[in-house]
Amino acid sequence: MTRPLQQLATLVAKDLRIEARTKQTVGLVVVLGVLILVVLGLGIGQQVASGAAATAVLWVAYLFAGVLCFEKTMALERQDGAMAGLLLAPVDRAVLYAAKLLTNLVLMGALAVVITAAAVLLFNFRLTAAPGSFLLVTTLGLLGFAAVGTLFAAAMSSTRLQGGLLALVIFPICLPLVITSTQLMLRAFSTGGDSTAAGVGVLLAFDAVYLVLSWLVFELLLEP
Amino acid sequence: MTPDHPSRRPDTLTLHWALTAVLLAVGVGIVVFVTPVEATMGPVQKIFYLHLPAAINTFLACTVCFVASVGYLWRRRLEHDRLAAAAAWAAVAQCSVVLITGMIWGRAAWGVLWTWSPRLTFSLVLWLLYVVYLVVRPSVESTQRRAMVCALYAVVAFVDVPLVYLSVRLMPDIHPTQVLLEPAMKYTLLYALVPLTLTNVGLIAWRYRRLGGRAGRAPLAGVPAAAALSRSEAP
Repeated sequence: MTRPLQQLATLVAKDLRIEARTKQTVGLVVVLGVLILVVLGLGIGQQVASGAAATAVLWVAYLFAGVLCFEKTMALERQDGAMAGLLLAPVDRAVLYAAKLLTNLVLMGALAVVITAAAVLLFNFRLTAAPGSFLLVTTLGLLGFAAVGTLFAAAMSSTRLQGGLLALVIFPICLPLVITSTQLMLRAFSTGGDSTAAGVGVLLAFDAVYLVLSWLVFELLLEP
Repeated sequence: MTPDHPSRRPDTLTLHWALTAVLLAVGVGIVVFVTPVEATMGPVQKIFYLHLPAAINTFLACTVCFVASVGYLWRRRLEHDRLAAAAAWAAVAQCSVVLITGMIWGRAAWGVLWTWSPRLTFSLVLWLLYVVYLVVRPSVESTQRRAMVCALYAVVAFVDVPLVYLSVRLMPDIHPTQVLLEPAMKYTLLYALVPLTLTNVGLIAWRYRRLGGRAGRAPLAGVPAAAALSRSEAP
């Protein structure tokens, strides 16, 4: 294993170990996600029986719970000068970004599993109609969302601002991702077929652009 | 000898606005009295001569915002940040015009003010992206940090625009795929681009001047934020 990969594994293990011991982020994020599902379910009412609204509702839950997840994982580094320690360590800043992104992806993955299961129960969401498309679109969507979220969580972390601002910044940026994902899922679940190549291409473009851009500018954000 | 009241001399921006006002007045005259009325839509079609140039100038303002933001990330000069903020403001103003004129058009053409068609959704998302830029600016206290966060956001938002365009293409569309114009309409449209582009330039220049123009410079990294605020900064 090369040195950057070792550093990446160490940093991700550090974050996940803290999470395993404190159990702060996953618990909060999952409960918030389920709460959003319940509130939206009550609001939409019987229309959810078709399951068509479930894809949009799922993304609303991913978005709000995801923002909380990004804030909590970045807040860890603000305590006791942890970020200063990381910056003093002989680690490339891109590795710091990749580590935080991977941690967020692991936590978002856990969130997605629980929320999707809840949607299957509460919304009559027939996941078996297009499981492959659902997995592909959700994975690509969460990757792009986490890429942008990790970047802006770092940008906002030193501004002493409250959580609403991070959501305000991330949501419009992530709109193409949400539009593409919901449209692809609607098509996949209405026809029972696979996602179109063009739609998956848009999601891949989104992921590629934001991963590269975040990698390029993350170093600038961590300057004192 | 220095004149007693140098400010009485009209500056470049005042002359610019005067020229723009004359060209706009001529343009309105051409649209109202010269350009033929479209057969299907009627007089409401004339809103098109404002709608399309405003849309083109929205993209121009977004491009200026992007270039200025890249300039800030590269050189760390506050005038780049101010230019980006001024351009974002102009982009929001013109995108608002695009949305409002689009809704008037939609009401006449489809009987509804709003429909989730790709082009309308695209304009709305574009507007939201730059409204957020303007809303976030005053929320960051440190001048240097604000400039950095906003520059980063502007770069990401501009890169987001083609992705928004691609994503909304997946939605069902009721817009016509192409608009055919007869020569008189085409020339009117080309003429309308001139005063509206001058308006765009004037808006950016006016806002840039109000934000502080070329005065001031970002402090070096490591200098406390209080030192960076040696002069008052408009958000």
